[in-house]
Amino acid sequence: MSTIDNRTDAKETARRLREPVTEARTLARKLGLDPYPVNYWIVDHDEMNQLIAYGGFQKRYPHWRWGMAFDRQRKEGQFLGGKAFEIVNNDNPAHAFLQESNALADQKAVITHVEAHADFFGNNEWFGLFTDGQDQTPAADRRGPNATAMLARHADRIRGFMEDPEIDREAVERWIDHVLCLEDTIDHHAAYAPVEPERRDAQEAEDRDPEGAIEELDLSAEVTGQVFDETFFADHSEEETGFPPEPVEDLVGFLAAHGKQYDDAADRAVEMTDWQREILEILRREAYYFAPQKMTKVMNEGWAAYWESMMMGEEAFAGTDEFLTYADHQARVLGSGGLNPYKLGKELWEYVQNRTNRREVLERLLRVEGITWRNLENEVDLTAVRERLAPPAWLENVPGWLESIDPDDPRVDAEALSRARDGEVDIDRYPWKVLTYEGLAQRHYSLVKPQNRSFLEQASRSELESIARYLFDDARYDSVGAALEDVEYTRGWDRMREIRESHNDVTFIDAFLTGEFVAANDYFAYEHSYKTGDFRVSSTDPEDVKRKLMLEFTNFGKPMIVVEDGNYDNSGELLVAHQYNGVMLDVDEATDVLKRVFELWGRPVNLLTIVKEFDDHDVEVARRRDEEPESVEVGKRLRYDGDHVTVTDVEWETVEHLAAEDVDYDTKPDEWL
Amino acid sequence: MGLREDLERYREVGEQRRQDLAEFIQYGDLGQSRADEVRIPIKIVDLPEFVYDRRDRGGVGQGQGEQPDVGDPVGQPEPGDGDEKGDPGEEGGEHDYYEMDPDEFARELDEELGLDLEPKGKTVVEEIEGEFTDVARTGPSSTLDFETLFKRGITRKLAMDFDEEYVRAALKVEGWGPEEAFEWARADGIPVSLGWIQSEYDDLPPGERGEWDSIDAMETAVERERAVDRIRREGIDDVPFRRQDERYRYPETIERKERNVVVVNIRDVSGSMREKKRELVERTFTPLDWYLQGKYDTAEFVYVAHDADAWEVDREGFFGIRSGGGTRISSAYELTQEIFEAEYPFSEWNRYVLAAGDSENSSDDTEQRVIPLMEEIDANLHAYVETQPSGEAINATHAEEVKRHFGGSDDVAVAFVNEPGDVIDAIDEILSTEDQ
Repeated sequence: MSTIDNRTDAKETARRLREPVTEARTLARKLGLDPYPVNYWIVDHDEMNQLIAYGGFQKRYPHWRWGMAFDRQRKEGQFLGGKAFEIVNNDNPAHAFLQESNALADQKAVITHVEAHADFFGNNEWFGLFTDGQDQTPAADRRGPNATAMLARHADRIRGFMEDPEIDREAVERWIDHVLCLEDTIDHHAAYAPVEPERRDAQEAEDRDPEGAIEELDLSAEVTGQVFDETFFADHSEEETGFPPEPVEDLVGFLAAHGKQYDDAADRAVEMTDWQREILEILRREAYYFAPQKMTKVMNEGWAAYWESMMMGEEAFAGTDEFLTYADHQARVLGSGGLNPYKLGKELWEYVQNRTNRREVLERLLRVEGITWRNLENEVDLTAVRERLAPPAWLENVPGWLESIDPDDPRVDAEALSRARDGEVDIDRYPWKVLTYEGLAQRHYSLVKPQNRSFLEQASRSELESIARYLFDDARYDSVGAALEDVEYTRGWDRMREIRESHNDVTFIDAFLTGEFVAANDYFAYEHSYKTGDFRVSSTDPEDVKRKLMLEFTNFGKPMIVVEDGNYDNSGELLVAHQYNGVMLDVDEATDVLKRVFELWGRPVNLLTIVKEFDDHDVEVARRRDEEPESVEVGKRLRYDGDHVTVTDVEWETVEHLAAEDVDYDTKPDEWL
Repeated sequence: MGLREDLERYREVGEQRRQDLAEFIQYGDLGQSRADEVRIPIKIVDLPEFVYDRRDRGGVGQGQGEQPDVGDPVGQPEPGDGDEKGDPGEEGGEHDYYEMDPDEFARELDEELGLDLEPKGKTVVEEIEGEFTDVARTGPSSTLDFETLFKRGITRKLAMDFDEEYVRAALKVEGWGPEEAFEWARADGIPVSLGWIQSEYDDLPPGERGEWDSIDAMETAVERERAVDRIRREGIDDVPFRRQDERYRYPETIERKERNVVVVNIRDVSGSMREKKRELVERTFTPLDWYLQGKYDTAEFVYVAHDADAWEVDREGFFGIRSGGGTRISSAYELTQEIFEAEYPFSEWNRYVLAAGDSENSSDDTEQRVIPLMEEIDANLHAYVETQPSGEAINATHAEEVKRHFGGSDDVAVAFVNEPGDVIDAIDEILSTEDQ
């Protein structure tokens, strides 16, 4: 950023990007998106790495972990050729950073991608949990998390503490470390509200009806079971006056309200200092701010990849000369191995779109007189149907038909059309400008695309039947042609926007990941084998793979830890519990975390959990039979008193309430290896 | 941005938390490292968090083009998901190793052991052109130092210039001819030629001769103007450029000596060298190799295994070989000598010969063959590391004999390693011998 030469380059890049930025925004709106305004910045490679290390912002509180992230980022770039393409932060206005060295085609791709992210940030309800709940409200006319200012303010506060001669800098750093260990143990399904110290239950919002809200999500019983298990609801029926009266997921909030610090000199718990309490709340606020991004990674990246591809590929936002670079870039991003959130997300969105469009078409067809779910396959020529659904020539080739397009057609933007005819619109470059949302929806109708050629025919009888069951006036049309006249081409996009509003990764994957998808992408589940001492493929059954996948997304892929008792054993000790879903904790690491919790509680802390143990005798028997040994589930209580960790076996009755009976993430087959 | 600060802090934290170097060498997992990169486990730089037990959790993977069969091993599951687009809110990751390159390792070890090994430059690998600070009298015109030429020209002009009027006035002294005037002028330091005076005298109208009674009268009446003042007044018409004033810039020649090293690792692989002893040798040699590689610009390693005979092996095999034969240590030195003579002349290479074994040797071999060979083979350092985990040795006297013979020498080191705890002392002993 320093030299004049570079500045000049950046200015030149900025100048060339001005038009793509404006046009991308216009196109995004035409396509039905409603993004936060975005400010674009041109940065060099080093600055990009810094921004990534800082989580997309220019200013964060001083901490070594940003240095670690930066170091890693830089090394990846150096050795693996990892290239940072885009970074955009969740704010209003959002800030997006473009790397100066990227080719123009890449920049355009990034811009379209970013616009879709900005739409997601602004419209997904999980993001609203923070945006609407935070204490530091931005200007009334500008809805948004006000994140840049918030994080900068946090940075200033913490730096202030560190530079305060009265406060030991190392102590501040250690305190931050303690809290960061717990940054995922918040209640990410609840709206953020600041904690008032010692005012109990401040974070409990009573005005919502969780059971109703969950039903609305339309989830499988399995997800409902694992995310919203019994303890989630238990509180609503009990008249219990424990402390807390019901388990609290927001461990950080609970500590902020009721925690103390341990005073070494006095050898007892004393009140936290003001700076300690403030840092606790600052980090908690940041955890709540970042939580929605962690919860919607697949959805959000898929959403951005989908619209990027729509704008860049389908709408030829990349110039013909740039298209190859773009296609290459796209292939690289989507082609990276492992479980790729971009690819997974994009394909799920495409599935949502296709399925919705298919349902719309089938509903129309089933309303044709004489056509039922039983005979549709024989009575209707679906290939012909698909041909009828193809967009008319003038929608496909707008410039060629410019003079004959009907300005009164709802698919046409009459005003833009007349300007185009006057030569004021570059119609060859931006044909979409004369079309409306309806026009674009038909122009890009998913079911007629080559890659979705057989999607319509693949509708199963059971799907037909379930659609037919809820249709009332099933003889509305007297011919297939008449029925197809009424097909609403916007259904797919409309539905996608609804889903992007209410879902998160867990619900999204649960609802839309199909067996075909798992099989087509060669996904498999694996488990650790005691016998061989390594990881082995355990199943390729889509249901198993999906369950395993859900485990990786539920609660950020972390075990659920709740506060059960703030006055355990009637002696002011803290009891947290691991809500066991069949997968045990990493006990060593949990012990380390427990030591951190002690620092924030000031008094002894306990963790109740269930572990799997192997009985020596069982292992020996299994070895002889050449089988996997069966583990035994045992309740354990870990306690840390500031000096020693003790682990005690507890009666099953003590932990029974923690064990979820209705979920099973174990994909090991009965006969294995 | 404050990120520089964060990065520094991370380095500090990482350094504090990485395994102590000495501890790592003695007990750590050397196998994670490669020849050019030392990987030292960090004791949790990343913060702990509540996570699932990795084994119990299992996971989801993606097949390479086909769905694998149930029961296939999946290798080490990768954390993360090939996510290259850094997302807001995503950070952390597995950071189990603190990575050092050999340079850093050598620096750290220097610090830890208080060593100060100065690598010696050997072969002149190249003469490179330095700055254009040297000058020469000839050269391409593009390197002509015009400033020098001009300055010298002016100096010359100043030196040659004189007040012509003043000298002419001397010719008008009563009874003076050119000879008198020339003599006077030269005595006064005026750079004038006799020829010039002669021609001036000839041009002088006869009426003007004898204007002054004496030279003293002339000097009193006529003021002599300094050349500098005259040039200031009149300016320089032309600067006399002379070929002899031309100077051409010329790059300084820097001889760069490459500091290169060849390290011969010798190991007794005979039947008496058991597993534990082998590991001790590896623990001693590997850090030495890293250290020397870090110290020198280029390092080459030769691995020689021997029982009663010696042969060259590659590194992968070196620490694992076992043979059943007897022991004749001199065989290894003979081979080393051959290799040195063929490929690594001492004038060009720093040489280190590091040998290890359990001190057992065939009778008289040490005294009659090995010691003379060690004296004969030029090297910065000969070292023998005795590994004797059992502590019982009947005819294991090689190390003692060598030590007795070379005691106090600055190019022979003998060290004893009986348990991992001795490794650091041995390395210290070996590396500090050279700079005494």
